[in-house]
Amino acid sequence: MNDSGNLRDSDIQKKIDHEIRMRDGACKLLAACSQRDQALEAAKSLQTCSTRIMAYMSELQRMKEAQVMQNIPRRSSDVGPMDDRLPCKGKVAISDLRIPLMWKDTEYFKNKGELHRCAVFCLLHLGGEIFDTDMVIVDRTLTDICFDNPIIFSDAGPGFQLHVELYSCCFEEDYSTGSTPRKLASKLSSSLGRSAGKKLRAAMESGPGSPVSNGGASPLLLPVPSVQGPKYHLLAHTTLSLSHVQDSFRTHDLTISGNEECSYWLPLYGSMCCRLVAQPNCMTQRMMSGWLKVRQCGGDPQSWSKVFAVLKGTSLFCYHRQEDVETNIEPVFTIGINKETRIRASDKDPHSKAQNICISNQYGGEEVTHTLTTESREDTHGWMEAFWQHFYDMSQWRQCCDDVMKIELPSPRKPAPITPKQGSLYHEMVIESSDDLSSTVSDILAQRMQELELRSQLGTSPTWMSLFEENLPKSAGFTRQCTPRLSGLSPSSPRATHQSPLSSQRSPQLGLLSSDASLTSDSDSHCSSPRSHHYGWPEPSSNLSLLSSSPSRLRPRTLSLDAKLSTLRGKGYGGTFQCPCQPPPSSLLAPLPMSSRPPRSPRGAQTTLSCSSSTSSNSSSNSEGNHSPESSEGVSFSRPSPVRRSLRNLRARLDPRNWLQSQV
Amino acid sequence: MAFVPGQPVTAVVERIEIQKLFQGENLILGFSIGGGIDQDPGQNPFSEDKADKGIYVTRISPGGPADVAGLRIGDKIMQVNGWDMTMVTHDHARKKLTKKSEHVVRLLVTRKSLEEVVKHSMGRP
Repeated sequence: MNDSGNLRDSDIQKKIDHEIRMRDGACKLLAACSQRDQALEAAKSLQTCSTRIMAYMSELQRMKEAQVMQNIPRRSSDVGPMDDRLPCKGKVAISDLRIPLMWKDTEYFKNKGELHRCAVFCLLHLGGEIFDTDMVIVDRTLTDICFDNPIIFSDAGPGFQLHVELYSCCFEEDYSTGSTPRKLASKLSSSLGRSAGKKLRAAMESGPGSPVSNGGASPLLLPVPSVQGPKYHLLAHTTLSLSHVQDSFRTHDLTISGNEECSYWLPLYGSMCCRLVAQPNCMTQRMMSGWLKVRQCGGDPQSWSKVFAVLKGTSLFCYHRQEDVETNIEPVFTIGINKETRIRASDKDPHSKAQNICISNQYGGEEVTHTLTTESREDTHGWMEAFWQHFYDMSQWRQCCDDVMKIELPSPRKPAPITPKQGSLYHEMVIESSDDLSSTVSDILAQRMQELELRSQLGTSPTWMSLFEENLPKSAGFTRQCTPRLSGLSPSSPRATHQSPLSSQRSPQLGLLSSDASLTSDSDSHCSSPRSHHYGWPEPSSNLSLLSSSPSRLRPRTLSLDAKLSTLRGKGYGGTFQCPCQPPPSSLLAPLPMSSRPPRSPRGAQTTLSCSSSTSSNSSSNSEGNHSPESSEGVSFSRPSPVRRSLRNLRARLDPRNWLQSQV
Repeated sequence: MAFVPGQPVTAVVERIEIQKLFQGENLILGFSIGGGIDQDPGQNPFSEDKADKGIYVTRISPGGPADVAGLRIGDKIMQVNGWDMTMVTHDHARKKLTKKSEHVVRLLVTRKSLEEVVKHSMGRP
């Protein structure tokens, strides 16, 4: 026992030495390199090495403690059962890590000002293995942080804990790191503008003054070198275990450390999407093999067939010859060994020397039993032991033993592609260029209208749509019955003199389209804020089509995004919009035949649509502090929450179909 | 009140001077406007010419500063403190009306009845 302990000891010691050498190399590289990219990579390897060293040291500590414990003579009552089963180990792979970001929409569309960039990478820690992902530079044009490469841990038990840690470091191009003495830096930061100074000070944080903590774990035998250069900070972390393993993508919550004031802050949505799979060894390796005689129950009692059996995964494969296993010939037959299988040793058969093993399975209601027998008692015992171990493994690894999960091999790490600096998401939006952009756009619109028509055929359209649909044949958008009675003029001029209603609907939509497309990532909240209604000029249903069909193209999100978005927007907009001081007067609006309460219908992207197009359209007034209460009149009179009201006002303002009225 | 874009506009206007009223922190005028070159003119109930994209008064708060000053619903605003309002966006018009530094707005407004009055008075020498 001690020998293996010493062996492992020296093993770990070797690893520690190796890591220390790597770390020294990284430090030297960091001190020597001039380019920011190199510095970040070096800092990343430094971080990884430091973490590995700490992990190995704590491992070493634990082993030493275990040895010490063993050397103390134990009382007999302390000794646990000797035949404790250990579950088999397995491979655990995590791939396609994706961490969504939640930029404020003002950030998305802000084209001026410098791009605040951060360099991020993930550290994945399982048992004694620590791997890091590639480094990704993140700025506000990125909607998710993606780490695609699969990372495979080979020696994991079923009770594994996979720690995922996201480190980030502020990436400022203009300020050189660490070379400016601290006094000068603070002088500079006070003389520069507030935000520039903050950034500079953040860059200086990485200077020699920053304290290095060792987490208080094991006593550090070697001093951690404090280096100048970029330093990574822990931004978020989470721990995954067997219950998170699934052969598909799942979302997990992240615990975020740090706040907005930190230089390395990124607005994380708070969750992480990844594919975590596990391949326990019992599924992929041959656990037991040997010669057996098999007889199916219900058959001729003397018809024993001699086969070479291999226990692997969820079956016992029986081959004619041992060589067949290697040459991948189909087995003669296969006996399933899964959670429902029952195995027992039967009574000693007078004809044979050893006990028989009976394996019973339920194949669709029928019970099929196979009887196995071996040459000797030791073999029987060995097989029984193997079966018990197999069942134990399956019970420990649970869902991983239903089917073999595929693990992709990691592709060799490509150097990070150098993307040209893009201004905004608009650059990435691709429209198949035809000669005439407006025809492309109108094609897209037509497609969307079709989408809506299909959807409305399914009966999902809200009940008040029927009101519009009957209006359509008369005159799109303008119904006699809804004309408010005014003292002045009544609109009587024929609409024929103007553009045909349909096309007039189309052209104003162009403005909405671009902002909509750019929102594909910032997506459908199921916020059912009521559709704004203005005064009595009902919009034709096709308008609704444009806005409501957009959810079909957007990525599904958990419902909590809705809550986050509405609070975010409520904060952003509720302040600038003030509701009308006087209650809207009545005389004009009383004769409205429609109910004043607008229907609540799921309108996915409308909230987000309006909020983004607010920044892109020419009404920049919402962001400037305007003294007089501005709101659009004529929205319905139900008293929704201030957030909803401001959102509705916003939408009402920006919808070109509404004939906007502002109170002054 | 119809006009041809590019051609000079002739209209009979009335000068209306509105004193802004302090309501809490805000300066209000007490009316609402509609229209603008970025709005759909067909939906304007007050305009005679449905292609007219001018700024119209759509609502007057009774007893408010605009009411007192003589502004009427349906008036088309031609100028605000010298700034032209016949070819502006909705938001631009709103901004010109709601400047915090100005406590008085002098509007030039026109309405159909004015023209009639003038015609009437001209018709009877």
